[in-house]
Amino acid sequence: MPIKVLAFASSPRRGGNSETLLDWLLASMSHESDVAIEKIVLIDADINPCRGCNACEKLNYCVQRDGMDRIHDKIIEADIIVFASPIFCMGIPAQGKSLIDRAQVFRSRKYVLKLPVVPPERKGKRMGIYLGTSGQTWNNVFEGAIMSVKCLFHVIDVRDRDIQYLLIRGVDEKGAIQSHPTAKTDAEQLGTDVVALLRSRLQSGSA
Amino acid sequence: MTVKVIGISGSPHRHGNTETLLDNFLSGASHSGAEVDKIILRSMDYTPCRGCNACHKTGECIVQDDAEVIIERVMSCDCLAVASPIYSMGITAELKGLIDRAQYIWAQKFILKTLIYSDPLIRRHKGVFISTAGLPWEHVFDAAFPAITAFFNTIGFEYYDNIIANDMDTHKGIRGHPTALAEAFEKGENVVRVIGSLEKS
Repeated sequence: MPIKVLAFASSPRRGGNSETLLDWLLASMSHESDVAIEKIVLIDADINPCRGCNACEKLNYCVQRDGMDRIHDKIIEADIIVFASPIFCMGIPAQGKSLIDRAQVFRSRKYVLKLPVVPPERKGKRMGIYLGTSGQTWNNVFEGAIMSVKCLFHVIDVRDRDIQYLLIRGVDEKGAIQSHPTAKTDAEQLGTDVVALLRSRLQSGSA
Repeated sequence: MTVKVIGISGSPHRHGNTETLLDNFLSGASHSGAEVDKIILRSMDYTPCRGCNACHKTGECIVQDDAEVIIERVMSCDCLAVASPIYSMGITAELKGLIDRAQYIWAQKFILKTLIYSDPLIRRHKGVFISTAGLPWEHVFDAAFPAITAFFNTIGFEYYDNIIANDMDTHKGIRGHPTALAEAFEKGENVVRVIGSLEKS
């Protein structure tokens, strides 16, 4: 069984800084023969915002029919889930927030209906990665985004200690990340490390 | 002059906890003689920001839809109440979508420097954030505040106050909350008086 990587590029700008960072990470993972990667670009993914109807608390599925149907199953199947976003107005862009809010169906499943999100043999093994880029250089620029990203990972059964972060500040205009001194090597190293860790978890059979 | 108050409801559903809290704030404002208006984001037609940065050069958004109409409208009022429930520790995608679209105002202010707010103007424009959350956590609004701060800064409003109520799940909704609705009404009354007194001074 390959290690399945599911990556979300949540920026509306194609080929921008956060997507470039994501591509570096995914390229390093793709060198491994046992890794299968799927990248989803959210502006092409047809994800409506959550309606807040709470129907999923009873139904265990979302009443909306859109691109999330396909993504829902992929999220369950993935071993490594990557979420990449720029910072817009001190938070995640609306496109990324829609995905996170639509993960409410997993929250309902896990905390309200008390049902498993992933099969028991995979519980505690999967990992999450948040890649963030911001124009601002403020220390706290990612704080709001990280709180929402953690919500996403927690409801899809990625534990807090299994989330890795790579945050790059001070890259605003398209392409700015290319001249960042460490972003590329850090992304590549992170990709290699997370795959190695996940491989050892799957082989050892325990978390 | 009549004080103008606008409320923006960023909730995807109508007449829920957050919109009810907003309604009480607007009722209080109206009670103090303000002219009040409410914008329901989910009934408006706008797309999220594309991040194209074209506005950094022109100060204008290349997308023509309701977002610019809403932003121009709220910038002309004296008090703006921005309301959103907390979803996944943040504001809703609808409200974030609108806030992100104010980037062209941000560009006018910070990049092109064609838009300058005087201190008296900022003091005369009061922004209030109204929110509810299901969870009881103290920090449940912490991720929302920075985005709201950024929005008020961009559009030239003083971030004047919060009207927030957590633990909706325990209270079985805003109507079960001991103080929030009365607080919203009072704060609506008061902010209009404060703005009125600034006018006279």
